[in-house]
Amino acid sequence: MKISFFEALDIRPFYPDKTLLGVCAALLLMGYLIVASSSLHLGVKTAGDVFHYPLRQMIHIVLGLIGGGLICMIPMSVWQRYSRVLFIIALVLLIVVLIPGIGVKVNGSIRWISLAGIRIQVSEVVKLVSVLYMAGYVLRYQQQLQKSDYGAIKSLAPFILVGALLLMEPDLGSAVVIVVIAMGILFLAGARLKQFAWLILAALVLVALLIWVSPYRWARITAFLDPWADARNTGFQLVQALIAFGQGGLFGLGLGNGIQKLFYLPEAHTDFLFSVLAEECGLLGVLLVISLFSLLVWRIFAVGRQAEQAGQRFNANVAYGMGIWFGFQAFVNMGVNMGLLPTKGITLPLMSYGGGSMLVMCAAIAIVLRVSHEVQEKQVTQAKGVVRWKSA
Amino acid sequence: MDFGHDKTQESGFEGRRTVILALLLFAMLSLVIKAVYLQVVDKHFLQKRARQQYSDIVSVPAYRGQIKDRQGEALAISTPIQAVILKPNKVEDWGKVKEIADLLGVSTKKIQAIQRHSANKSFIYLKRQVNPDLAEKIRLMNEAGIGFEKALKRFYPAGEVAGHLVGFTNVDDVGLEGIERAYDAILKGQPGKKKVIKDGKGHIINDLEIIREPIAGQDLTLSIDNRIQYLAYRELKKAVIENQAAAAALVVLDAKTGEVLAAVNQPAFNPNNRQRLNAKYYRNRAIIDVFEPGSTVKPFVMLAALDGGYVGVDEKIETHGFYRVKRRLVRDTHNYKTLDLTGVLKKSSNVAISKIALRMPAEFLWNTYQRLGFGVSAGVGFPGEARGRLPDFQGWGKFEQATLSFGYGLSVSVLQLARAYTALADDGVLHSVSLLPRKKDDQAERVFSIENTRRVRRMLEAVVEKGGTATRARVPGYRVAGKTGTVKKSEGRKGYSKHNYFAVFVGMAPASNPRYVIAVMVDDPSAGDYYGGLVAAPVFSKVMAGVLRVYGVSPDREESMPVLLMKNETE
Repeated sequence: MKISFFEALDIRPFYPDKTLLGVCAALLLMGYLIVASSSLHLGVKTAGDVFHYPLRQMIHIVLGLIGGGLICMIPMSVWQRYSRVLFIIALVLLIVVLIPGIGVKVNGSIRWISLAGIRIQVSEVVKLVSVLYMAGYVLRYQQQLQKSDYGAIKSLAPFILVGALLLMEPDLGSAVVIVVIAMGILFLAGARLKQFAWLILAALVLVALLIWVSPYRWARITAFLDPWADARNTGFQLVQALIAFGQGGLFGLGLGNGIQKLFYLPEAHTDFLFSVLAEECGLLGVLLVISLFSLLVWRIFAVGRQAEQAGQRFNANVAYGMGIWFGFQAFVNMGVNMGLLPTKGITLPLMSYGGGSMLVMCAAIAIVLRVSHEVQEKQVTQAKGVVRWKSA
Repeated sequence: MDFGHDKTQESGFEGRRTVILALLLFAMLSLVIKAVYLQVVDKHFLQKRARQQYSDIVSVPAYRGQIKDRQGEALAISTPIQAVILKPNKVEDWGKVKEIADLLGVSTKKIQAIQRHSANKSFIYLKRQVNPDLAEKIRLMNEAGIGFEKALKRFYPAGEVAGHLVGFTNVDDVGLEGIERAYDAILKGQPGKKKVIKDGKGHIINDLEIIREPIAGQDLTLSIDNRIQYLAYRELKKAVIENQAAAAALVVLDAKTGEVLAAVNQPAFNPNNRQRLNAKYYRNRAIIDVFEPGSTVKPFVMLAALDGGYVGVDEKIETHGFYRVKRRLVRDTHNYKTLDLTGVLKKSSNVAISKIALRMPAEFLWNTYQRLGFGVSAGVGFPGEARGRLPDFQGWGKFEQATLSFGYGLSVSVLQLARAYTALADDGVLHSVSLLPRKKDDQAERVFSIENTRRVRRMLEAVVEKGGTATRARVPGYRVAGKTGTVKKSEGRKGYSKHNYFAVFVGMAPASNPRYVIAVMVDDPSAGDYYGGLVAAPVFSKVMAGVLRVYGVSPDREESMPVLLMKNETE
């Protein structure tokens, strides 16, 4: 009888979604190349070392892969069981980061906690935990959600707290992403459409209000509407990003040949990485990255659907949540880079420079791969009609 | 469980999943559309904007021509340096800026003032002309608000030795003084232009194209001989210190070509470091300042009288120590009694020369002076060159004519005086003077007869002999001819000072066939001695000895010659 390599070693086989794995690998690789290209000069300036940033990003990726590998081994049932606890921990972190002396302040916002030399943006962790929490919540309160007049609204109550804490940092962008994730999961779980419409309306009004009362947010909106009106100040970032796209043209200037990253584009290796890619790799590179993210979202949803079909409802909800998160965040980041959306400091998943972001994104992908594995595993064991554990 | 029955496991909201996925994919599609718009449709506009911000046209400094001495040794060269620029609006760390300012010797106060009043400016020269090593050190400090600009700085290897002559340029490389100013048009190049790519901080990262190549300025070779210049500088400085003089000037001329071999002044300045220096130190006194030449003009009066037949070769002049002209007195320091013509110059008798001068018409004396170049610029093309003063003869009275014969009432520069002496040195031919090297003087002009010039030159040899006024002007091994002058300094309307003098000596050697003329003027010696023969003549002696040695001129004084060498003596 033919036995597989894994069976021979008596190791449980792992069945990840291979397309998803390939897409992620491609995004990591492309991201790394652009991060390296856009940070060489910056490394010289800030640390006197060309490889300052590339080396660190390499460490981030390796740590992300190791962390992801470990997370792959955690059964989804564990996440389901601890989703509420994790959510509470996340809330505590959001409060802790606001305590002076603990949170790290950058550009006027306190968003980071420094952990073992790696700065972690708390909101990234909160996004991940929110997905897990919401996935469990809609399962527990399915009846209420689908039947009650206020079910959907009630379920969002914890997120009002999360949003409020995020706005104290302030980090409107992350608050919006988290609310979108939560509402997306609610919608998929069957929240009543009328309630849902009210929720969307309320969220939009709230966001509009938040922008209207804050001068710097309002300035970003006006700069977004006409970046060329004040190209040297409020519109500067966006104008530089747009110029990067124009410079890139169809085929780009070639990797490493970009000019915009040379102190024209602020945050070239983080939030505006996509512009550097646009300049150096042209429309070709831009379309490739958009396609990869589309593929990523589509695959994550496919994994979710498989899980749903396999009866793994929690797993399915988690996958949908991750899909919405990655899809929405990637869209917002790329949209901001192209002037399609007002400027928001949000990273490009799996690509932007940053240790915390990289670790959290890798963990999220690992969880999706775990979902896919559990679907496949169930099918394999059922098809063979054997127990999960094959005895030697 | 059969896969086909999985539908039952679903939530019943598959449609919603499709809606969300479609929304997300539609969002991605909108990105594609926007990307195509930016990177295809709007490309040209954006690329134009890109060029506007990153390309810039900068000036490429042109090398300024070198100034060299006649031996080809550099007197002024351009060396690359950096200018350090402060961009207050881009400063990240003012503490660092203060550190850098400290390195550059810019006061912290100035930085604080900038920080307070012009923090939003984008360009301030922090310090120009910074040497490249220091600039590199500052560059490594990595302050965003600090920039650099390449430039060229003038360096003067001869320092203060030739400072007055060569002059200097300003920070923009424009000649301000001396030769640098006079020949600015030749020396200065034409800066080029190039198109460059600048990064967001304004640093040049790449050259795009050269719009215009810089044209380097032409080199300029002077008639100056750095060896003589140095020698003269050293001796003059020593004399000024020993005699506690206010100032001094010295000119060395080639008697045959009229080339200026050296022109030095005291006090001097170092053109490489002009901080805290007053403009009065920049004056090239030898060329710009004038003084009354005093007795040094007597040989010309004598020569004019001989050529004009106003005095006989063997005539004797009675002096008595004073001479009444109209109601005023011309005096000698001693009563020399009866003097032959040689004695007149040897003792420098005012009375005798006045008597001789008063025999000739005023116009004749004026003409003599005028032809010697008094009252007219010497024409070396130096900025601010003096003309001196020679009053018109129609206004002269008898007394004025008398005083003019012993050098009062007219003024000349050291250079003009040295030039006039070329007529004595070159057998009656007056030479033009030049700061540029030349083989021959095309503007030479005969002003005296050969015979009488040689006669007067022999009289002037007596001046340095025993009993003459300038025995200390002697140069061992050579015959020297010259004349002293001890001139009371004019105090304007108050008349003449009783205690302040110009000590002057003008001479030539070898007297048998003079090759070099040196004029020395020491202003206000106050250590005790003030006679030209005691203060200026020793300087002449040392410099002339050096000149003759440097150019290997054969000695012409027989009594001090070794027997063997006498046979080679041709002159």
